[in-house]
Amino acid sequence: MGDILGLVAKRLGLGLVILLIISVIIFFMVELLPGDIAQAVLGQGATPENLAALRREMGLDQPAIVRYLTWLKGAVMLDFGNSIVTGASVSQTIGTRFANTLFLAAYAAAIAVPVSIILGVLVALARNSIFDRVANVVTLTSISSPEFFLGYILILYLAVKTGMFPAIASLREGMDFGELLYRTFLPALTLVLVVTAHMMRMTRATIINLLASPYIEMARLKGTPPWKVIVKHALPNAWAPIINVVALNLAYLITGVVLVEVVFVYPGIGQALVDAVSKRDFPVVQAACLIFAATFILLNLAADVGAILTNPRLRHPK
Amino acid sequence: MSVFVILYYTLLLGASCLAAWFNKRSAFLLIFSLTLVSFVLGIVGGVAALRFVAISAGLLALAAMVAYAFREFLIAIASHNMAKELRTAPLTAAFGMFVIFTYAIAGIFAPWIAPFGEAQVISSAFAPADETMLLGADQLGRDMFSRMIYGARNTVALALAGTVLAFVLGAMAGLLAATTGGIFDQFLGRMSDVIMSIPSLIFALLMLSIFGGELANDTTSFWLLSGFAVLVGLLFVTAVAEGNVLSWVIGLAIMAGAAIAFAGGFLVIFNPSEIILILVVAVIYSPRVFRLTRAVAGNVVVMDYIEAAKLRGERRWYLIRREILPNSAAPLVAEFGLEFCFVFLLIAGLSFLGLGIQPPTADWGSMVRENATLISFGELTPLIPAAAIALLTVAVNFVVDWMLYRSSGLKV
Amino acid sequence: MTKKKDVLLKIRDLRIEGYSDETWVPIIKGVDLTLHRGEVMGLIGESGAGKSTIGAAAMGYARDGTRISSGSIEFDGMELTTASEADRRALRGSRIAYVAQSAAASFNPAHKIIDQHTEAPLQYRLKKRLEAQEDAVELYRRLRLPNPEEIGFRYPHQVSGGQLQRAMTAMAMSCRPDLIIFDEPTTALDVTTQIEVLAAIRDIVDQFNTAAIYITHDLAVVAQMADTIKVLLKGEEVEEAPTKEMLDNPQEDYTKSLWAVRSFQRPQKARPEGAVPLISVRHVDAAYTRGEKILDDVSFDIHEGMTVAVVGESGSGKSTTARVITGLLPPMKGEVRFKGEPFPPSYKDRTKDQLRQCQMIYQMADTALNPKLRISELIGRPAQFYGGLKGVALKNRVDALLDMIELEPSQYYNRYPTELSGGQKQRIGIARALAAEPSFIICDEVTSALDQLVAEGILRLLDRLQKDLNLAYMFITHDLATVRSIADEVVVMQHGRVVEQGPKNEMFTPPHHPYTDLLLSSVPEMDPNWLTTLLEERGVDNVGDAASARIAHDDPKVTGAGV
Repeated sequence: MGDILGLVAKRLGLGLVILLIISVIIFFMVELLPGDIAQAVLGQGATPENLAALRREMGLDQPAIVRYLTWLKGAVMLDFGNSIVTGASVSQTIGTRFANTLFLAAYAAAIAVPVSIILGVLVALARNSIFDRVANVVTLTSISSPEFFLGYILILYLAVKTGMFPAIASLREGMDFGELLYRTFLPALTLVLVVTAHMMRMTRATIINLLASPYIEMARLKGTPPWKVIVKHALPNAWAPIINVVALNLAYLITGVVLVEVVFVYPGIGQALVDAVSKRDFPVVQAACLIFAATFILLNLAADVGAILTNPRLRHPK
Repeated sequence: MSVFVILYYTLLLGASCLAAWFNKRSAFLLIFSLTLVSFVLGIVGGVAALRFVAISAGLLALAAMVAYAFREFLIAIASHNMAKELRTAPLTAAFGMFVIFTYAIAGIFAPWIAPFGEAQVISSAFAPADETMLLGADQLGRDMFSRMIYGARNTVALALAGTVLAFVLGAMAGLLAATTGGIFDQFLGRMSDVIMSIPSLIFALLMLSIFGGELANDTTSFWLLSGFAVLVGLLFVTAVAEGNVLSWVIGLAIMAGAAIAFAGGFLVIFNPSEIILILVVAVIYSPRVFRLTRAVAGNVVVMDYIEAAKLRGERRWYLIRREILPNSAAPLVAEFGLEFCFVFLLIAGLSFLGLGIQPPTADWGSMVRENATLISFGELTPLIPAAAIALLTVAVNFVVDWMLYRSSGLKV
Repeated sequence: MTKKKDVLLKIRDLRIEGYSDETWVPIIKGVDLTLHRGEVMGLIGESGAGKSTIGAAAMGYARDGTRISSGSIEFDGMELTTASEADRRALRGSRIAYVAQSAAASFNPAHKIIDQHTEAPLQYRLKKRLEAQEDAVELYRRLRLPNPEEIGFRYPHQVSGGQLQRAMTAMAMSCRPDLIIFDEPTTALDVTTQIEVLAAIRDIVDQFNTAAIYITHDLAVVAQMADTIKVLLKGEEVEEAPTKEMLDNPQEDYTKSLWAVRSFQRPQKARPEGAVPLISVRHVDAAYTRGEKILDDVSFDIHEGMTVAVVGESGSGKSTTARVITGLLPPMKGEVRFKGEPFPPSYKDRTKDQLRQCQMIYQMADTALNPKLRISELIGRPAQFYGGLKGVALKNRVDALLDMIELEPSQYYNRYPTELSGGQKQRIGIARALAAEPSFIICDEVTSALDQLVAEGILRLLDRLQKDLNLAYMFITHDLATVRSIADEVVVMQHGRVVEQGPKNEMFTPPHHPYTDLLLSSVPEMDPNWLTTLLEERGVDNVGDAASARIAHDDPKVTGAGV
């Protein structure tokens, strides 16, 4: 077991280092701006007094390294400073929005993960049949479509024409859970469509790959019934790749969520990021980017750790 | 029961019986399951649903016919070897090639095909379609159809330029890393790991927030382009010159000239904000290309024939050019298509968010955004540019799917 | 040995097709087979002959991408081609069992060995779990596995290859089947390990009077195992006869060609007195980065125009020695001298002329020739690179080289390697080495991937070239027949050390170093009684891994004794 712990610790450490490097990238990219952030915010026509005031306020009179460390210290304690545009605390604005985004992603994942794994396994078992080919074309089409295309189609047919669901996913205080699920159904469905296609294809490839291994043939030649071949011989070895597929696609969800939030005017962190980018509200951009990157890394990490933990060769060292 | 419904079921049942009679198992399964689904659909959705199914089936059949005819056409005009390859293409791939071909024609001959100018205001906002405006007008009263045609040129050209740059940088670095190994290889690998652990859309937004404002001017983009060219050039010179000082000097001189010519050329074709977009995309996707090239080339490098060439004393450039590239070309070409789809979707997404291609340039992503309000009136208009995006990526993916199948030789 | 009892398996006019390039192509073209109870039949043929496919078909099983198109397979009165899948499945594991080529890949990594062993008996409710486990331990004991009580409770990756192969045989025995299909069970093993597995399999099949189909490409192995032998070629039967008869008196030309043991033998050359050796490996230690030492104080000489064979099992350091000589792996200690001058340790520091002098021919011609280059460039490139030949001169040189390797220039000049047969590819590999005009060539298992006759052609060619061009060869091989026919001197390696070296005739006459002795005695011979005799002479416990582990490294005959 010591081996496994070592590997996991190593992987966690590596993730932490990558996150640190990314924080450096995110912070120092803004330093590339000509002049400084204050100049960029106020534009060419700013008076020197205003500039000086803003600089002081943002601590720009200190060297970059010091500012980075202050920023990083804040970030660790979830304090990302104040927005340049509104002056409000970034953490407060982003906090609830991040929770909303997580809810949407979790909603989509809760539907997509079981559905796509089951469908993926079924398609893999029926490989080369006509259904496999149809599924191939359909999933390929779904993957290739931009999220906003699927989103608007759903709005057009399920909201505008039939009025079954609301087109805009607005949230209010004190909505009960059922209504929440109902109001956010369309954005969640959009995400489900895209992610399911991805996951199904990857699951299919994984299972087919697995079924081609000699020990599966051996199990069949031992007279093991088909269901038992899958449950006892394929599944224990399929966990690692399936965990990998799920984690990768959840990471993909994180990116897809930005476009979907904009389409459905959903008050999530993605929309906040897009607004901040067009208003050049750098503290918000930095905070949102760091959060997205951290989630992404965390999910990839989870995939790796899952793969390590389910590997029999590592669990039972020589 | 309308005549349509009776006809619909007669046709389906007849077809399934015929398929069963002629022992076409898969065709029978497909048609008969469609019949069963139709029962349910007919009860739930009524005649409209059946009509929808019928129209979709008709469209599919049409697409299949186009694809078949196009494949036969290609086989007829291609050389012997190409024709042999083309014969293995499934209908989906042929359809993909047809769509790509159509888009290329539309893009190249845009000014001659489009009835109106790219930014020409010809009627009131959101005017409905008529004989002169096939798809109606947009929010400023510009002809939708003309803008669609121009969009093919702008969006695709941008995505193509971005993919090519990403490929030149990523593939060169990958080949060099595979042949050199050691610390250089490790370093590039770690660097690409870091860049790839930021989601691409998020990274693009971050970079655009910095380069998007007044930095998007001629001078900045010139320097950025030159910088990019120098980076690629350095990789090239490293690969060709190895230890020889004179080759380094000559290589660096040529590289500097080429970098300036390249930057100038790009500035003539694209405007600064587009150049920023292209470079952002190239930087984001080159690590992916690097990783793939490294993997593909890595598989070739361990072959005995590479060892034989090394022991002969061959230089690195010969190894890359004559031994590694020819043996990794097939997966790389397929990967180019795949990356193009990613880049294209990223650019469309950014434009949709209002952060990519800037107005008044016609572009599909921004057209969706500009006309999005129409959706709440039940209009299809904003879906048309979105569908155009989807169709192209689907088409490329179909072709790539076939090429991957061919190059991997997998019979799964 | 022949037992005339009732028929167990009867296959008539079996045809099997495989799916490739969008069409079904025949793999098995009408094969008949009759197997009696307790009889062991050897199926033998080259790769692609369809041996494994027939083996699977005997279980009523068609692999993915293949289908049984016609014919009948009757097992103990039951027609398998028309039986339901459930009925066929009920036979597998219980009455027909299967032993696969790679035990390491065929055991599920997620379960303990014994759990996989007891799966079939539990499935068929033949035994309770504990009984089945006891039985497994008993079988392990009979198969002479070390620690029979404990070994089953390990995971497959914790057990060595030879032991896994025996554990798999035990698993096949778990339901005491009537028939076992052995699909190349020892092909992936070293010779000294192979012998243990062969002995174990033969004993247990004998003890339980189980019928078996033994699939292999190795004639000497099948001669030990089988009562009858059936020879296959490209999906068709060539001939079938009882083992003794088949060995003594093969009928068909193809069979005779398979049987043709290295008829080629050339006179042994002696070292020139007092000459400086062409290549001299001096006290070389080598290791891959951060790894264990792979070579330990290796020294030997190769003289001009002579052939030195380096023999040993996998992992003995033969190929690593070659890498040190070519400069791919600079040694940690010691040096390689060329005509008395030290060779720079890394190939990167060697001059063009030094690189030219030492060429290499590889085992797998498939991976040694760039598939995207034409023959003209494959052979022409070294001539162009070293000799600076261009245009007509280059073309003439390539033509001359093709002549030398007995391929018609006009026919092969513009072709790609993928269009050639295995032997032709190997010839191109030789021509590429010759194009550099070297004085020394390393031949790394050059004949082991080839069929007997083709291999002999290659050996003859190499011998002729040696005479014509005064070449020195270092022959890396594990095949002692090759050593007998072509070597002048022999170097035996084990665990990265040279255990014995000297002229060939001395090496093949006792007394041997114990390892050489073990190696020589472990190579199967065509004589059907070879295994029996050997086991009688040496004792069951004196063969295989156990014996090789006991050999002491400080034996007086070790290292440099022949120098």
